[in-house]
Amino acid sequence: MQTEVLESQIRGLNIVLGALQAATGEICKSCINLEGAKTKVGKMVKKLGMDLDAASICCEKTKTDLQTRIDSLSKAAEDLQVAEECECQKTAGNCKLGAECFVTAAVDLMKLVQ
Amino acid sequence: MAKIRCGRILGEDIYIEEGDTTTLYFINQLRAYQVVLAALKALDQDICHDGCSLPSTVNIVIKRLVKLKNDLEASDAAAEKKKSLLSKIDSFLADANRLPQDTSQTCRKSAGECVMGSGCFATGALNLIKEITEPKAPKI
Repeated sequence: MQTEVLESQIRGLNIVLGALQAATGEICKSCINLEGAKTKVGKMVKKLGMDLDAASICCEKTKTDLQTRIDSLSKAAEDLQVAEECECQKTAGNCKLGAECFVTAAVDLMKLVQ
Repeated sequence: MAKIRCGRILGEDIYIEEGDTTTLYFINQLRAYQVVLAALKALDQDICHDGCSLPSTVNIVIKRLVKLKNDLEASDAAAEKKKSLLSKIDSFLADANRLPQDTSQTCRKSAGECVMGSGCFATGALNLIKEITEPKAPKI
């Protein structure tokens, strides 16, 4: 994978994690969608680490910098505070914003990276 | 009438009376802005800090928050609830005002730094607001 793609994915995940962090302060903290998003983003970060390992990056400093940023994302994903018992907050009658979901849309920001 | 929880904004659980769609509209908007502003703050740490899309998005958010504030003031929401939500809008406005607003800078794509494709994180973050489809805006 090219350095540029890795770089863009790291940028995207940083923004997604910022949005998810805000959602943990919301009723989404007890929502199954946030729980799922945390798992999904965790997997994305893990895959990014594997892609970096497999990438042919000549400059050792560039590789180390990217690894440091991936490690930081990994910690941020792990630190997302989700309730132990989650259920969809729409089903629970608390979330009344319509059929859509902030958390799912936040993760979908990654689709902007081509 | 029964009170129901419908959000948590700036650490405070928000309750409304069932069927109070006017107040629910403002609460849902603020729930979204809470997430959008967090995404924009993350973008401010990115190369977007020196671009034009982030400031442009920030300016849109500020305008919309000001409109939301005016609409809330003019609405028939209960006085106590109105006061509480207005203070939250002020807090969001203060957050937004700390973000870049100078749109004269060069887009990072044009500068050759942003190579993510044709999409834009700042625009994408703003579009999170579109996730709110209910209730409709009250007639002010």
